[in-house]
Amino acid sequence: MLGRRTGWRRILGWVLLIATGGGTLLLLFAWSGLYSVAASRGHWPIVEWLLEFGMENSVETHAPGIAPPRLDDPDLIRLGAAHFLSACAECHGAPGTEVSHIALGMLPPPPDLRHRAHEWTDQELFWIAKHGLKYTGMPAWPTQERDDEVWAVVAFLRKLPELDVAAYRALAYGDVRQEPQDGEDIAMTGGGLRALGACARCHGAGDRGPLSALVPRLHGQPAPMLEEALRAYAEGMRPSGIMQPLAAALSARTIRDVANYYTGLGALPSPSPAQSEPGRRLATEGDAVAEIPPCLSCHDRQALPVYPRLAGQNARYMANRLRVMQQSARERTATQAIMAPIARRLSEQQIIDLAAYFASLPPEPRLAGTAR
Amino acid sequence: MTALQSVLAPSGAEAERIAALAWTLFAGALCVFLVVGAALWIAMRGSAVARRRLAADKAVIVGGIVFPVVVLGALLVYGLSIMRQGIAAIAGPGALHVEVTGEQWWWRVIYRDADGSPIESANEIRIPAGRDVVLTLASADVIHSFWVPNLAGKVDMIPGRRHRLKLAAAKPGIYRGQCAEYCGGAHALMSLEVVALPEADFASWLASARDRAAEPSGEIERRGRDLFLSAGCGSCHAVRGTSAKGEIGPDLTRVGERRYIAAATLPTSRENLARFIVDGQHLKPGNGMPPFRVFSAAELDAVAAYLASLR
Repeated sequence: MLGRRTGWRRILGWVLLIATGGGTLLLLFAWSGLYSVAASRGHWPIVEWLLEFGMENSVETHAPGIAPPRLDDPDLIRLGAAHFLSACAECHGAPGTEVSHIALGMLPPPPDLRHRAHEWTDQELFWIAKHGLKYTGMPAWPTQERDDEVWAVVAFLRKLPELDVAAYRALAYGDVRQEPQDGEDIAMTGGGLRALGACARCHGAGDRGPLSALVPRLHGQPAPMLEEALRAYAEGMRPSGIMQPLAAALSARTIRDVANYYTGLGALPSPSPAQSEPGRRLATEGDAVAEIPPCLSCHDRQALPVYPRLAGQNARYMANRLRVMQQSARERTATQAIMAPIARRLSEQQIIDLAAYFASLPPEPRLAGTAR
Repeated sequence: MTALQSVLAPSGAEAERIAALAWTLFAGALCVFLVVGAALWIAMRGSAVARRRLAADKAVIVGGIVFPVVVLGALLVYGLSIMRQGIAAIAGPGALHVEVTGEQWWWRVIYRDADGSPIESANEIRIPAGRDVVLTLASADVIHSFWVPNLAGKVDMIPGRRHRLKLAAAKPGIYRGQCAEYCGGAHALMSLEVVALPEADFASWLASARDRAAEPSGEIERRGRDLFLSAGCGSCHAVRGTSAKGEIGPDLTRVGERRYIAAATLPTSRENLARFIVDGQHLKPGNGMPPFRVFSAAELDAVAAYLASLR
């Protein structure tokens, strides 16, 4: 009896000794600097296998069990395509653009998603795009609050394999001019790269509105509201993985100029003729019992210029914006602090009614004197 | 006693009856306390004879059953009769009728014109001293309780029901009240004031309360009015005579003349109005008004100046 217990103790002692010794050796090895972290050298095959095996299983385990939205939705695909162009194509390639040689030097090199996206389920792609991957160059989505944006990229990835160069460009650039005009143009602007940050790729310009109904119409919005929105995006106060990197690249002057440009554009015709009587009532009279004030007391022409005008706005964008506001954990900007509590009092049906009503309203004529 | 909020400083018949009841109950409780104290002393320190008597059946029956039944029964009858007097009291001729609705977390106050049209105010009930006032008490959301201890007893405001409370302030003065039923987060900051004015002052006040808000006189106030309207304040608040017709929050037509804002929480002043507009959620957490940080400092001051001028 006594002898057996001593036997167990001896085994335990050996285990502890090996663990401590092994740990110390590992630490010494790392400290020695002999292991090369050079991306140029690649991994040992065993390490590569282990990392890949762990990554694949981790994604499978963590991918959400929720059903994706409809991924064949053209609005979603267009939004995803436009974001893919500016955020993903550099490393993952796209029709007409090979994977960048700089990106190919990463370890592991980013996969060409035209051929590799099918290896993952929709939910797995969503999870990777939202959270990124450790020990690779794949970054997480800039905000963790905008699942709707991540799904747009997943929808686009499903469409990607069947796109040729022309179809891809039509989706990702809209009709923004991509080709440089001449040699000097290329020399001075960097040629085709300059269109990446073009607002008009998603929001339209001139007399053309957004290609995707999930993107807001900016034509004729008051400049202070547009400037405020861009600043909020740039500072991460308004969460968006799509808008934040683009807005953060703008200077104070470019923000002012581009806001003034959209303010000066003539209003577009209403996107939808479908009227909504409940939406009209809520927008003009509110619902005192549910403590919902009438929308139009802040969202029509005589309101403060930091408030958006809603007449003629895309219904899908507006409904989505209200839902995002309902789910936001914390209001970081002055206008969100006012609107989010009201948005949370709206039912899903009321959101749909209001979005339909405002989409059917003829937009106001060009705003005069919106400067404060 | 001149306490602002106390049962023991009654003003008016209703409150005096309740004060008398309170004193009687205190006195009764004191007697019972003394008798019990004496019995306790006997039980521990009394002579053997006294202790034997205390332990006898007769002492238990008289002291433990008959005495409490008689005393509590008498107090109950007395209390009920006072309650009945309060319920049965018929308002004198020319009584003032006011509707008071408890909302999270403020009081909507509606006077009626001769032709029945409403004159709305909030959180401050002005009444004529010496005249009967009949309050119709209702709730817009959860159970509240209306209690101005110097003037009358406590009456619950139950959703879907209308309760009546008759009271009269014997003399002019300010009487503070409090929501007396827990009604959610800012319950403790749901107070009100009843301001009893001499009859003539009240009559002239009510006549002017009927009016629309006057056109602001100063440059800053006018700018404040424009900002008030364009920032959407009017979607929840009404200022009679302007396009602000909101019904969700308190009527602000005469907010500048009320002694307090935010349901008797902050003294009315330009500074406090400005503080509440931007920081109301810290001053009164959970209240229905979102913070309006969209104003610059000068704009905020203009809006506050406009509100303070509404009197």
